[in-house]
Amino acid sequence: MRWRGSSKRWLAVGWLAITLALTSTAVAAAPSRLRLFTTTHSAMGTEFTLYLYSVDSEAAAAVSEEVFDEVDRIEQLLSNYRESSELSRINQNAGAGPVTTDPEMMDFLQQSEYWSRASNGAFDITVGRLMKAWGFFRHEGRIPTDAELGDLRAVTGWEKVKLDSARTVQFTSPGIELDPGGIGKGFAVDAAVRILRADHIAAAMLSAGSSTVYALGAPPHKTGWRIVVPGPLPSKNTLSVITLRDTSLSSADCSQKNFTVAGHLYCHIMDPRTMRPVEGRIQVSVVAPSATASDALSNVVFVETPEQSVATLKAFAPNAHVLIVSGDAEAARCSTFHWTSPVDATHCAR
Amino acid sequence: MLNLSLDKPGRRNALCSLNSSCSNEMMNRRDFLQSVSAAALASTTIARAAAPAVKPVRLGVIGAGSRGQENIRQFLRVPGVSVAAICDIYPPRYEQMNRLVGKEVPHTADHKELLARNDIDAVLIASPVACHAEHVIAAAKTGRPIYGEKALGFTVEDNQNILDAVTSNKVLFQIGHEYRYASWAQEAIRRVHAGEIGTPTHAYAYWHRNGDWRRSVPSPDPDGKLEHLINWRLYRESSGGLGTELGSHHIDMANWVFGEQPESVIGTNSICRYHDGRTVGDNVQTVFSYSQGRRLVFSSITDNAKVGCEFWIYGTGGSVQITIEDATIYYEKNSSNTPTADQTVSKTVVERGVVTGASYSTKGEMPYRGPGEKIVGAHSEDPTLAAVRSFIEAVRGEHSIFADVHCGFRAAVACSVAHDAVFAENKMLIPKAVQLTAAGV
Repeated sequence: MRWRGSSKRWLAVGWLAITLALTSTAVAAAPSRLRLFTTTHSAMGTEFTLYLYSVDSEAAAAVSEEVFDEVDRIEQLLSNYRESSELSRINQNAGAGPVTTDPEMMDFLQQSEYWSRASNGAFDITVGRLMKAWGFFRHEGRIPTDAELGDLRAVTGWEKVKLDSARTVQFTSPGIELDPGGIGKGFAVDAAVRILRADHIAAAMLSAGSSTVYALGAPPHKTGWRIVVPGPLPSKNTLSVITLRDTSLSSADCSQKNFTVAGHLYCHIMDPRTMRPVEGRIQVSVVAPSATASDALSNVVFVETPEQSVATLKAFAPNAHVLIVSGDAEAARCSTFHWTSPVDATHCAR
Repeated sequence: MLNLSLDKPGRRNALCSLNSSCSNEMMNRRDFLQSVSAAALASTTIARAAAPAVKPVRLGVIGAGSRGQENIRQFLRVPGVSVAAICDIYPPRYEQMNRLVGKEVPHTADHKELLARNDIDAVLIASPVACHAEHVIAAAKTGRPIYGEKALGFTVEDNQNILDAVTSNKVLFQIGHEYRYASWAQEAIRRVHAGEIGTPTHAYAYWHRNGDWRRSVPSPDPDGKLEHLINWRLYRESSGGLGTELGSHHIDMANWVFGEQPESVIGTNSICRYHDGRTVGDNVQTVFSYSQGRRLVFSSITDNAKVGCEFWIYGTGGSVQITIEDATIYYEKNSSNTPTADQTVSKTVVERGVVTGASYSTKGEMPYRGPGEKIVGAHSEDPTLAAVRSFIEAVRGEHSIFADVHCGFRAAVACSVAHDAVFAENKMLIPKAVQLTAAGV
């Protein structure tokens, strides 16, 4: 058994292209005093990057500090690695009785519930124990027994989380553990973007480890922020390029966390309905107005079959744009939903 | 439209208005443990689940900036708590609070108007420290329970006036020294008081950050009014600087450990990194003297975060490290040197002699590098949540207040004097509260 490199490589390559393109052309052409500043910050198990147009480094630093303080605040709200987080408090107590929480946490839980309901459980934050059973909590991959998985059914399932209007959350089955991994970074990005908007920032892009990005406004003389989606081939050549403005994009792929046993690769993205890692999906990218939604939807379309995804998207996210790559790298299939940018067919048969 | 007069002599007033306890530090340890245990029991999920429906507590909030918002977020995690109204002189806070609370919250820029409402059961005061006296005293006169952010007051006089107002009006008051509610800190100090590290003689406290401590100011801000309003922490007339805003927590903890307030302070500060017009230091170092020669050494710098926030208690038999997340105890190496008589080895030495060689061994000079023992508290609840929950329970009459106004006074009066001492760079005496006995201590 071995771990493959943790990697958000395929989008990280794209980020490099974005940065170089903007610094070399857009800024030089900018008529104003705006310059592009880049800052990074470690949080939520990844590295956040803020690309920000500002008049000077002091102003950029002040905004950057505010943005990353907000990311840290959301991490303290949602972390399942910190015992003192609000999510951990709920995990510790909601099995014994109703736990009153604050409106922001309630909003997070309600949005999670919404996407669980919309996807018929393909998205589910009650996979905490399941992730641990498969060794994805501390990077110690293992295959649980069928008996273990059978027992875990009692503590997995979004319907077992009851929310009410008095801002309480209760687990109907003790032992449930919420895992925000499929939506938390998007929630943090949305919160941080609210800070950028409050500061009247006209053009910025925030990336949560490249798996979720939000493009605010557009660089000078550009229609939006250019995002490169690398393809599944070993070359990682560009699969598609999309321009975003005032919207978000989330991507999911199996190279981020996985382990291999007897030549079989097990992906960290769980299908909560089968209690097993998803098979047959390589990567997905989802564009949606909110980062919380795009993050959750990237999990939904990764777990569901492309046909199921299209049905879900039509019903619950008709304005989303989605690019799905299934199969394996040698025989990949690409599916799209409202994805208007060209897709390089050499990577996949459409 | 902001109607601020921040560039005039009355800047401090303009910031504030526009339109069990530490009495238990003197009590014996058994009483303290009973008090903490009762609070902890009342805070458990089991106890809450068994309790009848909770009595609603409607908060009025004075000061809805970053710290006030964090307090509110935690208050709303306590069953039965709601926010009735807020007071702040910076209009963008109103929308921020609406979002945080999840509904439209009535607001005003006048704290008197807020206190005149009849739908407020308790008051949260999280305004800048220079405003605390005005706001706390006004709230105390209404007779309502008060949760006041630290430091208690800005000047020595402010602290005395707040203490007088709270005690004479017999109102419940809890100071925002949330470390006192962190279960790991409670357990660590219980073990220190039980003698597990021998006699505690020194506390070393670090609050090191790597950031300019500056908040973003909307543009344009032609007269710098918003700069002084939002970055009040950076200006001497409205802020005690790092020694107060951060150090007050650690002074309170040292007071808790030593069971008294410090007698005097020496200190210094400078602007080393951020030459941006601020008038408080971007680094500060202070030494507080307690009775029997005991000391608290406090350091805060803002351009290196390696140490972070740590509070160390050094005793004759060991050390305790307390952070914002956990606590660890380390024991000194066994240095027992009790004389022994008539040992066989000793006789051999007499008969065969002593082998000569190099005399110096570095072993005894090296620090103990063992892993330490993690101190386990009763729960892992966020300290601020534990603090505000305890306050609400006190408002409901379930127990007394642990971090009371006397705790607040003893830490804040030391901050007030230290704030002057770091500029004067002279040793300054720290006064005790006047008529403290009248408050029942």
